[in-house]
Amino acid sequence: MISKEEVRALAELARLQLQEGEVESFQKDISTILDYVGQVSTQGPTSTQDSSRSDLKPLHNVMREDVPNTPLGKRDELLAAFPKREGDYNVVRKIIQKDE
Amino acid sequence: MSDLPTLSITEASKKLAAKEISAVELAEACVAESQKKNPTLNAYLEVFDDVRAQAEAADLRRAGAEAAEVHPLLGIPLAIKDNILIAGKKVSAASKMLEHYVATYDATAITKLKTAGAVFVGRTNMDEFALGGSTENSAFGVTKNPHDESRVAGGTSGGSAAAVAANLALGALGSDTGGSVRNPASFCGVVGLKPTYGAVSRSGLIAAVSSFDQIGPLTKTVADAELLFNAIKGKDVLDSTSIESTKSEIRNPKRKIGVPQSLLEGVQPEVLAQFEASLKKLESQGYVIDRSIEFPSAKAALAAYYIINFAEVSTNLSRFDGVRYGLSRKGESLWEDYAKSRAEGFGLETRRRIMLGTYVLSAGYYDAYYGKATEARKRLRAEFVEALQKVDSIATPTMPTPAWKIGEKSDPLSAYLADIFTVSANLTGNPAISVPMGTVSEGGSTLPVGIQLTAAHGDEAALFTLGRVLE
Repeated sequence: MISKEEVRALAELARLQLQEGEVESFQKDISTILDYVGQVSTQGPTSTQDSSRSDLKPLHNVMREDVPNTPLGKRDELLAAFPKREGDYNVVRKIIQKDE
Repeated sequence: MSDLPTLSITEASKKLAAKEISAVELAEACVAESQKKNPTLNAYLEVFDDVRAQAEAADLRRAGAEAAEVHPLLGIPLAIKDNILIAGKKVSAASKMLEHYVATYDATAITKLKTAGAVFVGRTNMDEFALGGSTENSAFGVTKNPHDESRVAGGTSGGSAAAVAANLALGALGSDTGGSVRNPASFCGVVGLKPTYGAVSRSGLIAAVSSFDQIGPLTKTVADAELLFNAIKGKDVLDSTSIESTKSEIRNPKRKIGVPQSLLEGVQPEVLAQFEASLKKLESQGYVIDRSIEFPSAKAALAAYYIINFAEVSTNLSRFDGVRYGLSRKGESLWEDYAKSRAEGFGLETRRRIMLGTYVLSAGYYDAYYGKATEARKRLRAEFVEALQKVDSIATPTMPTPAWKIGEKSDPLSAYLADIFTVSANLTGNPAISVPMGTVSEGGSTLPVGIQLTAAHGDEAALFTLGRVLE
């Protein structure tokens, strides 16, 4: 069973605000699920180095040249998705502040 | 009621070519059917307001073209899962996070269907961000099974499967991450294909688990699935994991089907009886059933699948922060802005998986979970490659049971366990199809069930050949 502190720490890392009673319900569900998926550690050999790699084709670079491709949206349409907009600017919280 | 929506794509295509019907008639019949049934079924989250205009354009195109230049999908009304982008249309992944989001470009699969001239009827309901197996995790209500409205349609592509089964479209696109096309196909009595990983471009598919996700067709017949698959497949510069379809030229049919007998223990007896009847059908066509096939790593497959699922989901969904698009809520600090937006935007199952993914990827647990899961995945893939050198296909039931009652599986783990047969093909990248194999009786209802066939990488052709024998 994971602890309530661990649930809070996970939520902190995952950028999720927990709601009333959720620490307890997540504690229970996450523990049950981790117990189940944890069986992956106890099965099979510890290493599979190369035993199965004959199916791999020669590796090659999949990156394309850094040149403009099919545009994935017009400028105006992308701007329209901003949650808060001033002119063509996306209004965001001020995050850099002067040292005090 | 017009019987036009009950046509298969192949039948409708012939009638359109012969000018017995028009695309407008066909599209309007599907819309009329949707107006009648969708308020109950909730298969579509939205029926588009330009369906008639799309169909008129298709009729115009046909009138101006030589018959030989016309694609068989010209004027065919299709339903599209709500995680596949159509430029200018809302696409929400059935999440409050993207409730008002409008796609700014077409998914590559959509571009291909537009080139062919297909008509998009609407966007279909699903489990939020394709996380689930019953469409109960949609932020916009469950999709009901057309065969019994007290039951789920399956998921995550439940809306697409229900739309096809209830004749609200002639075919549909879904996406399959751990069975999300095959599971609802089985529950709704339609055909569902998960192509080889990479066969269909994922560009414009809202990512759930990038190393598992594949767009696939849901249709009334195997021939229709083949037609839709051929229309959307192909290497794409916008998806570096896409591949040229390799067809099956490397293989010569062995007329042998493998059945992993030891994995069938948990299957409901009535489902197993239908499965055995399907195998008999294959035997009567000269196929040999090989029950000696074994997958030692299959026991760990479901655990490995979910670990990788959680890990990639938590990573993929980290992009939703309320800053650039999607639901945005303000708190007292930047952290609170993120955390409130994400807490309100994501549903319970989505948040649970993000937390689990954060856990399995954290420094202290990475090797024990994600590391082990990727090893199990490699072993399973090797076992599948080896087995499929001996047999044309591996057969199992698609799901161990027929569709369950809405709300029946409230415990998340019990819902995960239902994916036992479908997740393997996503771990290994093999193509797999679900084809209806009759019905079973449960609680006074007659419910469809499906047989799943899995073939070698790139060998969708084997699935279509065998699927035709079974339907």
